[in-house]
Amino acid sequence: MKQILGFMVTAVILSVIGFMLGSYQTDVYRKVLLWVTLALSYNFLFGIAGQVAFSHFTFYGIGAYAIVILIFQVGLPLPLAILATVAICVVLALVVAIPATRLDGFYLALATLAFAQLFIVVLDEGGTVTGSAGGLANYRLPDVFGMQVSGPWYTVVIVLLMLATLAILWRLDRSYFGRACRAVRDDSEAAQAMGVNVARTKIIAYTITSALAGIAGMVYAFVDNTVNPPIFGLSNSFLLLFMVIVGGSGRHAGAIVGAVLLYLMPLVLSPIIGHHHALVFGVFMVAVVLFQPKGVIGIWDWLQARIGSKA
Amino acid sequence: MKDFLELTVGALASGCIYGLAALSYLLITRPTGIINFAVGEWSMLGAFGGFLLLSRFNLPYPVGIALILLGMFLIGWLTERLTVRPLVERGAPPLAPILALLGMLVVFREVVSLVFGPDPQPVPPAFGFGRLELGPVAGSYQSFFIIAVTLTVFAAVWYFFERTLAGKSFEAVAIDRRAASLMGINLRRVTAFAFAASAVVAGLAGILVAPNVSAHYLMGLPLAIQGFTALVIGGVGRVEGALLGGVILAFVEQLTVRYLPIPPGLAMGVPLVLLILFLLLRPTGLLRAREARA
Repeated sequence: MKQILGFMVTAVILSVIGFMLGSYQTDVYRKVLLWVTLALSYNFLFGIAGQVAFSHFTFYGIGAYAIVILIFQVGLPLPLAILATVAICVVLALVVAIPATRLDGFYLALATLAFAQLFIVVLDEGGTVTGSAGGLANYRLPDVFGMQVSGPWYTVVIVLLMLATLAILWRLDRSYFGRACRAVRDDSEAAQAMGVNVARTKIIAYTITSALAGIAGMVYAFVDNTVNPPIFGLSNSFLLLFMVIVGGSGRHAGAIVGAVLLYLMPLVLSPIIGHHHALVFGVFMVAVVLFQPKGVIGIWDWLQARIGSKA
Repeated sequence: MKDFLELTVGALASGCIYGLAALSYLLITRPTGIINFAVGEWSMLGAFGGFLLLSRFNLPYPVGIALILLGMFLIGWLTERLTVRPLVERGAPPLAPILALLGMLVVFREVVSLVFGPDPQPVPPAFGFGRLELGPVAGSYQSFFIIAVTLTVFAAVWYFFERTLAGKSFEAVAIDRRAASLMGINLRRVTAFAFAASAVVAGLAGILVAPNVSAHYLMGLPLAIQGFTALVIGGVGRVEGALLGGVILAFVEQLTVRYLPIPPGLAMGVPLVLLILFLLLRPTGLLRAREARA
């Protein structure tokens, strides 16, 4: 009950912020929320289930492309298109997960990297369906019951998406399934011996998180009202991984902190030091792995312990 | 048939480049289990070394190459010293060095883009831009040079692993780290040398391929992907596998572009499909690692 209240208050606060921003700020705010959403689900896949997959951002792209193609090329009404997109994401995630999760360690990373590259090749060669290299643009969200959801109200949709993702992952993490995922990550043989179905746990973790990424992509499609191959390239998959690591992998708060920090860092730094911000980013990344393996959230824990021990 | 022979030398040369990139992964992965995604960036550093010493300072080719390879040796050694060793000694999880190296990838790339700018820079080939014809087989001087150098490198590495004591100590570490260390093999030295050698091989691949593609700060990623595709095809267990995988990959690429009736963009997907198929159906690659011998 208390948690539900907490989520509702957060939803109201985050939505109200959305109504107070100018157009540039709105754009940044929406993207931060979307990155947080993605980092949360990726954190579950990478940090909690321990799967180093580079396909997460690809599912974001699949969701975005699917909804646009279904509405504007196939001509489905919006509610049906949403359902179909979710179905496509779940089915595709399953199709990838069943063979891919059999691979361990960096073989999974390589296979999903290849899948991510393959997605870009398909987008580039998709002709009029995917708009090839130029992508699809000049569309806008269809009316729902004669109403156009736009401006700050669309920001509210993103806020709800982020919180719903957090709520789902929060519940999952605290369930039998979440503990099974952590057990498989730490020692799959021991988990097997304790009666955890390792293969099924891996497949479900991959499918749920990838489908969540796809749903986030579906919402993203109407933020910039354009989808094109460079957006969904490999560099963003790596960025997502960095976000989770910098924030503190395996922790929801870590994913949120990491996503906000790394998304805002270039925006803050590039007016000051220009393109050097990318170098700062790389050095920062190495420094975190070397000196703060628990991520930025680890500093917070340390501070809390210090204050706690003094009081 | 003439068409096919035309293609052979070029394909072999690119296969050799992929093979060198794969060897660069293998030299690190085999003894340490670490996959170093920064291999492509090391090649880029080699290529820019070529631009600096050969194009700008006009050093003689052998001198320039020697200096670059020495520099690569130091870069590899320093990379291990600064980012990998502290993590290994602290007993960090195996993923940590891989992530640190991923961060180093960004650092290398951005340093180069800041120093040299975003434009591609020329690197001269070893013997000018001539064309050599040996009966029906023909190709550029550089292609033949690439093939010759790569074969020499692989022969030397093969000899090192199979015939020298130092090489056997690498193989021992690859088979069983703990037992090797108990036998008095210095794990630190093996790891440091593996990184240095890997950087030298990657840098060499960069210098060799640069005359065709120019030195560019984004040239690393495609090479890194082709390198590990070659590695997966050939198998991580054997040195020859890297070369075999590289050559197979290059021929598949060239043959699909030339003969398959699909648009050239889609042909770029063929190696990726090949990679996925190999990972799923034969993750050990074509050549299996030797079993530990009694």
